[in-house]
Amino acid sequence: MNLAQVLNGLRDPMGVPFYPWFFQVLMVLTFALHIIFVNLAIGGSFMAVYEHYKKGENNKRLSRFLARSSTVNLSAAVVLGVAPLLFVQVVYDPFWYVSNLLSAWWAVGFLCFVTAAFLALYAFYLKRNPESGMKGFGFFGWLTFGLLLLAGFSMHLLSVQFLEPEKWKLWYLSGNIMNTSGTTVYDFRISRYLHFIIPSFAITGVFMMLYGWFFRQRQDMDKEYLHWVAVSGAKMALWATIIQIIIGFWWLFSLPKNLNFTSNAFLWIGVILGVIFFLVLMAAQKDPEKYAVLSALFAFLAVLGMAVSREVLRMVYLGKFNYSIYTYKLNIHWGSTALFLLTFVMGIIVMAYPLTVAWKLGRYGTTSKEGA
Amino acid sequence: MLYPLFEWHGVGNGMLMAIIATYHILPCHLATGAFWITYVMERKAYQENDEGMLEFIKKYSLLVLIFCFVTGSLTGAGIWYAATLISPRAISGLIHNYVWGWATEWVFFLIEIVTIYTYYYTFGKISRKAHLRIGLIYAMSAWLSMVIITGILGFMLTPGKWSQTGLFFDGFFNPSYWPQLFVRTAFMFVVGGAYAAIVASFMKDPDIKSKAMKVAAKWGLGGLIVGGLFTVWYFTKIPATAKTIIFEDLAFTKTMFEIAIAAGVLLFIYFGIWGFMKSRTAGPIPAIIAMLVLFVGICAGETMREMARRPYLIPGYMYSNQMIAKDMKPKGVKNEVAKFNKEGVLKNYYFAPESVKEIDASNFMAAGRILTKLECISCHTVESTGFFSIPKLMVRFGASSPEEVHDFLDALSDYDYMPPFVGTEKEKRAMAAYIASLVNPNQKADPAWVLGK
Ligand code: HEC
Repeated sequence: MNLAQVLNGLRDPMGVPFYPWFFQVLMVLTFALHIIFVNLAIGGSFMAVYEHYKKGENNKRLSRFLARSSTVNLSAAVVLGVAPLLFVQVVYDPFWYVSNLLSAWWAVGFLCFVTAAFLALYAFYLKRNPESGMKGFGFFGWLTFGLLLLAGFSMHLLSVQFLEPEKWKLWYLSGNIMNTSGTTVYDFRISRYLHFIIPSFAITGVFMMLYGWFFRQRQDMDKEYLHWVAVSGAKMALWATIIQIIIGFWWLFSLPKNLNFTSNAFLWIGVILGVIFFLVLMAAQKDPEKYAVLSALFAFLAVLGMAVSREVLRMVYLGKFNYSIYTYKLNIHWGSTALFLLTFVMGIIVMAYPLTVAWKLGRYGTTSKEGA
Repeated sequence: MLYPLFEWHGVGNGMLMAIIATYHILPCHLATGAFWITYVMERKAYQENDEGMLEFIKKYSLLVLIFCFVTGSLTGAGIWYAATLISPRAISGLIHNYVWGWATEWVFFLIEIVTIYTYYYTFGKISRKAHLRIGLIYAMSAWLSMVIITGILGFMLTPGKWSQTGLFFDGFFNPSYWPQLFVRTAFMFVVGGAYAAIVASFMKDPDIKSKAMKVAAKWGLGGLIVGGLFTVWYFTKIPATAKTIIFEDLAFTKTMFEIAIAAGVLLFIYFGIWGFMKSRTAGPIPAIIAMLVLFVGICAGETMREMARRPYLIPGYMYSNQMIAKDMKPKGVKNEVAKFNKEGVLKNYYFAPESVKEIDASNFMAAGRILTKLECISCHTVESTGFFSIPKLMVRFGASSPEEVHDFLDALSDYDYMPPFVGTEKEKRAMAAYIASLVNPNQKADPAWVLGK
């Protein structure tokens, strides 16, 4: 049995109910959305504690806002994460399952870390009271941040081990014994991990710019405070992006030589999108509110570019073992595919309503027309 | 092809699923059931211009619901994880049939998260009509996500025509689908009622409290009665072997059934007393106890449903040890059991060490250990502690020598709830030798017997 036969043999024998490329597109798209909210939760919770310990009135206000928005962003990250988790199991089931089984307790740990982070975040958001000097609860802010990093670490190692089928058996067996305990971390790439964590600060910076822009029209909000938030956000985003670009190259150069990323168009598109985002941020420094929406757009494109590059790399890696998702056995079922697509369109229409209400209320402080 | 194994040593893989599923049950039911009550209470509060009630709903109850929704979806994904670690091939099979079902459910999750947060942050700031409408959208989509998942859960016990056709909707609208959906919907309102009772129990004004308690009790009692009737209907739709397993084979599931019934009766009494007789003085402690009782009852019910699936994970297709038991012609899948019985399991198991693939006098214990883990640890532990310990059960059964264990393995197929032994005669003897050494570590099997010489 060669490895290619093994990998194909581990696939589900019933096949996939629709074309693999379609699952792949959905997986990459939902992953990009998911990781943006993960970044917002990580960056937001960090900045919330950081500002919590500062003296100024503005810092306290910003801390409150970031703590509150992090609860929403973390929830969104969880819900959006369900989709790529589902789709990865459809087309990459052998890799995802083996990686999870080998480090089973880290997969379980991931859930515990996120749940605990969510609890800690609420404790931080609700229970600390900067005015009365209850600094103690700042600890829960750090705890949230630390737990989220750990959760990221767990997902990270599962995604890295995923890519190394040639090592699975070496890791798993020692002599006649199978290591079924599931506690070991077999592989970990610091550069790749940082490449997912550092953008948290860029994305959170853009989020702060958007905050300044969004509430600008409100009569009841302090203009000076909003501007300060937008400027600080723009600065943070710029620095984080510079660091990110450096780490990006470190990661690319640490890839196995035979992958030859220099000739891969998709990877270059990813790099170029990152650089454009950087240029937009440079321009945004002078007037962050004006550039907020544009920066957000390019932040999204850069993240999407990263998600696509990640997928392309994965295909290149697994191509070495003659694995291609496009050869997955098909058992097309149009009815259930239509069920999903129709529900999805319906969902978008239904969600537009509460989102519009929330948007109007936030932007103008009222939902009635006169207030606008 | 079989995957590597994961074992929770000394505790049992079943425990992992039990913990995550139990932790999932309360938040997910609350996130589904309780919102109807919040919606009804808000509407009532508007009609009566009751500011105190509104303040209360906003301040306490909604945070709980947001929390339930998020932990509910986290632990829901957790059930995938647990299933992945215990039986990756089964979750893979389910996902490859029902991915669009889950993806559809996910759309409802998206609607839920958008509406629940909008509902919370716009409370008192937008028109009452718009706010109520958003609440209703949440409640409806939470219920619809249940409408979807019930199809998949029902499929796992009664696959219906799917077994012949392999088609999504044949499995989805399976024989137990409608009764189960009605049971779940009725109990959703019981959960809502129990939750409303907790909320009411914290209210200060005895008039409001009494009014709220009465509403809670009506929902709770109504749900219990209707849900009970639908449960009877449900039991007529599940296969006879499932009923034999629950009520005759296993003392464990019989106890679960009694617990579920007892929980229903206790809740009935609770709603009767505190809802109507003592509604003005209802305190938080009995209300919280009632919620816990409900929780235990639901856990018992879900455990029964899970146990009744044995010895299959996907009925009529895949055994609990993840081996494909029957052909699945419409999808072009051949059963593996016949092949493994002929060629041997170990030869076909990539993740087994090369050195055990040919069983001989030097490696049969190692081979037996791997086979035992492969075929038994989805339900048992090999240690003397934990969920259904094999050595303990062997002692209870009265088998200790390799020959006696071998006879037991021969008879495995007579059990309703265990898959038959899969593999060659030599593999069966190797497994018997290993299991006998678990019962009595000093016991050494005779290599000549194992190798059949
Ligand atoms: C589908 C899950 C499942 C699998 C797989 C399974 N068992 Fe069981 N087994 C059970 C259940 C449930 C019981 C009942 C426990 C009880 O009565 O308390 C049981 C009971 C037993 C008993 C006691 C029988 C008796 O009559 O008292 C033994 C011994 C046993 N199993 C051994 C094994 C061995 C060996 C394997 C692997 C070849 C195995 N089981 C595979 C679920 C399973």
